Amino acid sequence: MNRQEAGMTQALLPRADRLTVCDVDLEVVRRGSGRVIVFLHGFHTLDPNARFLELLSRRAAVLAPSHPGFGASARPDGFETVYDLVHLYRAFLDGLPDDKVTLIGASFGGWLAAEIAASCPHRLDRLVLVDALGIKLGDRETPDILDVFNTHPDTVRRLSWHDPRRSAPDFDALSDEALTRHARNWEALCLYGWEPYMYNPRLTRWLGRIEIPTLVLWGESDGVVKPAYGRAYASLIPGARFALIDGAGHHPELERPDALADRVFEFLGC
Amino acid sequence: MDAWWMCEVPYPQVPQAVLDAADSVRASLPNRYCDPRVAADLFEEVIDEYLLCDELGLNVCATEHHAGINSLVGSNPMLVGILARQTRKARILSLGTLVSLRREPVRVAEEYATADVISRGRLELGFVKSGGTEMASANANPVNNIERYWEAIDLIGKALTRHDGPFSWEGKHFTHRHVNIWPRPWQERLRMWAATGDPHTAVEVGRRGMVHTLVLRGPEGTRRAYAAYRNARSEAGLPPAPIDNFAYSAFVCVGDTEEEGLRAGGKLLWFLNTSLKSAPQYAQLLPGTAPPPIAGQAWRTRPKAGSGGGVASAQENARKLMSTTVEQAMAQGILFAGNPDSVFAQIKQFHDDVGGFGHLTMIGRTGFMTHAESEKSIRLFGKEVLPRLREIEPATAPLEPAR
Repeated sequence: MNRQEAGMTQALLPRADRLTVCDVDLEVVRRGSGRVIVFLHGFHTLDPNARFLELLSRRAAVLAPSHPGFGASARPDGFETVYDLVHLYRAFLDGLPDDKVTLIGASFGGWLAAEIAASCPHRLDRLVLVDALGIKLGDRETPDILDVFNTHPDTVRRLSWHDPRRSAPDFDALSDEALTRHARNWEALCLYGWEPYMYNPRLTRWLGRIEIPTLVLWGESDGVVKPAYGRAYASLIPGARFALIDGAGHHPELERPDALADRVFEFLGC
Repeated sequence: MDAWWMCEVPYPQVPQAVLDAADSVRASLPNRYCDPRVAADLFEEVIDEYLLCDELGLNVCATEHHAGINSLVGSNPMLVGILARQTRKARILSLGTLVSLRREPVRVAEEYATADVISRGRLELGFVKSGGTEMASANANPVNNIERYWEAIDLIGKALTRHDGPFSWEGKHFTHRHVNIWPRPWQERLRMWAATGDPHTAVEVGRRGMVHTLVLRGPEGTRRAYAAYRNARSEAGLPPAPIDNFAYSAFVCVGDTEEEGLRAGGKLLWFLNTSLKSAPQYAQLLPGTAPPPIAGQAWRTRPKAGSGGGVASAQENARKLMSTTVEQAMAQGILFAGNPDSVFAQIKQFHDDVGGFGHLTMIGRTGFMTHAESEKSIRLFGKEVLPRLREIEPATAPLEPAR
């Protein structure tokens, strides 16, 4: 067991799937060994057996926490802003034994990852943003991000996936427990992201502070937030590279996990 | 028993084909379907009806709803201000400015204090939680709506009762460092009401001793909520609330004959059958609408039967209401209609069934009910029903166990 592995095991004991950070009890998927990749999920938590996490775990130690209020993670009273989440994850990173880790954030988690990287770059070696939210680019009458709460679910479904029929969840096939989890995620997402809707009006100004190598990846068919937004996002981060994932909408980690993982490995050189 | 008449000033004149094609008749239906000339006529008729109530000794009640055919009263204080000036005797219940949708509760307090002064002390303040489509149309976060509701009520209450110079409010949802409203209200203390249906909110309404009105909840739901209110007071060591603290809201229509009352009263069900239609994103899929174990089931395209946890969600309640017939509505105690004797008997029966209440807040006009039908109903109610309701001796309801 190498140093990282030993340290991580210690940090995650006694229960391997729970972690307490700043008194917040978090559910954490932990897979693989080696260099550490922290994955911050988007609108919904990833299943522990998700293909994307499995692929990452072949070459790295993956840590994928569920945000407070999502999945089986607790959300303390009054914990309800992105400010809270950013501080929590900074503490999370500080608690890891590794000097530096790689941070991947998708969608809503991409917003968190960008905030963390802009304010706390010394804990990170690399940053990957996947269809990330978090900034305001369009004019005041042109929203950048599809309003998933005030739009008909059929439209949200159509715009979220490259191939909705193949990729979108079949809610009738889900267990009661999975649906409860889905509703819990939806409620927490709304609490954090309702207004301003899924962005921090201040963040654009500070993206230039991200001085670590950054890769911005985008589903080419993303109708929730368009690839042009991703390109502009990348252009605000010094030296960031941008690439499209074909055959994917807003959730490449679910729709094209292999292609996404390949891009990540190529970027990480592992 | 006291009676309060209300009309939400609905706009039923949108072609049925448009309503059928729309997935929601609130929040997203384009306002090009609202002709301001028609709207002006509606307001004129309804304000005249309020003035008729004033003449006949009824109190009046004004609600607020946003961006839909169900109501054109998007600004409750504006209508309340008109009624404050135009009526002479009636008490005026604001039921109410939707305070969880307003950014500045202090402004609401100023508006209420002004209306109370104009009316020379005839204002009563009711608070409604809002929800559904109004979260979208007011840009209001649905998840912590109830927190804003109570905090806004606290701030409004303090702004209306503190008269010793500026005070500061730094709450969770509202901050206002310098609160000192002018004019101060005419009344030293304004009676507060809350319209709610769920036992959880009823508990807090009870602890606060507000007048508790149940809207279209039928005898069972009303009994349960009244019991939750009473038990909450008892558990908190507070004195029992007088019968005057309990109210019920239903459709009411009186005709010369039973047939006439039923025919016109049937038109009131438009509110249930037509004006409640909401797209799923504004209703069952709206975050925070129900606890996750119940809310999760709403994502199924084929709902599983019997998944309710005992307490009907707002959406379940709405679905039931949408298909209601006149007979069902009367059997459920949400419509009191017929000739004067019959309407009195129905209200008396309901009153006795739920252990008594002090106020009937009556939805007297909605949908396609005409101005003439509405005025006739008000006249008959005021002359032949209200005097008898006033004679009902409120029974003291026994303490019921919480269910």
